[in-house]
Amino acid sequence: MLTCREMSELGSEIIDGHLRFSTRLAVLMHQRMCPRCKLYIKQLKLTAEVLQQLPLGDESVDSQAILDRLRTPDR
Amino acid sequence: MVDEQELVKRLRQGDSNALETAIKLHHAFLVAMAIPLVGADSADDVAQETWLKAFAAISKFEGRAKLRTWLARIAINEAHALRRKRGRELSLDDWGIDSGSPIGSRFNQQGGWNAPPSQWHHDTPEALLTEAELHECIRKHLHQLPGDQQSVLMMRELGGLGFDEIARALSLAEGNIRVLLHRGRQRMHAMLNHFEEVGTC
Ligand SMILES: [Zn+2]
Repeated sequence: MLTCREMSELGSEIIDGHLRFSTRLAVLMHQRMCPRCKLYIKQLKLTAEVLQQLPLGDESVDSQAILDRLRTPDR
Repeated sequence: MVDEQELVKRLRQGDSNALETAIKLHHAFLVAMAIPLVGADSADDVAQETWLKAFAAISKFEGRAKLRTWLARIAINEAHALRRKRGRELSLDDWGIDSGSPIGSRFNQQGGWNAPPSQWHHDTPEALLTEAELHECIRKHLHQLPGDQQSVLMMRELGGLGFDEIARALSLAEGNIRVLLHRGRQRMHAMLNHFEEVGTC
């Protein structure tokens, strides 16, 4: 039996699909009877997705300065 | 939303408006990714050099990867080149050591939850990202992560690089990269959980 602590340690392996078959069964069984871990894993996945979709764009970047540098090869 | 295919096409034609768009979209990411590798003082140089190399090589970009992933690869090379020029290899000696679970105290001695995660108000990434304050909070917390976790999170989640190339870039084993990614995600989860509970960063 996996404990909840062990489940939290396996979190990224679970969401990235890197588990061995035997562990996968144990994880599935734990998740079926433990809504707390199910929620934690779901939120961890959501966290990863938020980071993947984070735009991190910056309108205030001085793009003109970079463009000027690209045009002047005397660096 | 910017259509990436269209953007790349215009970049290939040497369209400087397209380049400006690309810079606004990705420069901050390149700087953020370079900071743990070369320090805050040189990160902008790495990003600028990346644009120079990228613009010169845009015809070689096949569009199989995302533009950001392609730029990230160039930036990693530039970061390594800068470190070599300064006469030192990436000194990442203390990187990759597992700092342990950041949520260890949330479990009891039997390994059950003492402080389980709470229900969130948002349940899709899109919904979470509509919160402007959250963007700022995520950036802040990303920069507060230990350098190794920060690097892996930037390269993997934001940059879309593979585990193998991240391992090579940081001279660590793939197993280490997976652990660092997990620790970084756990910390960012704790941050999001706090935001969902309290409503502020
Ligand atoms: Zn559990």
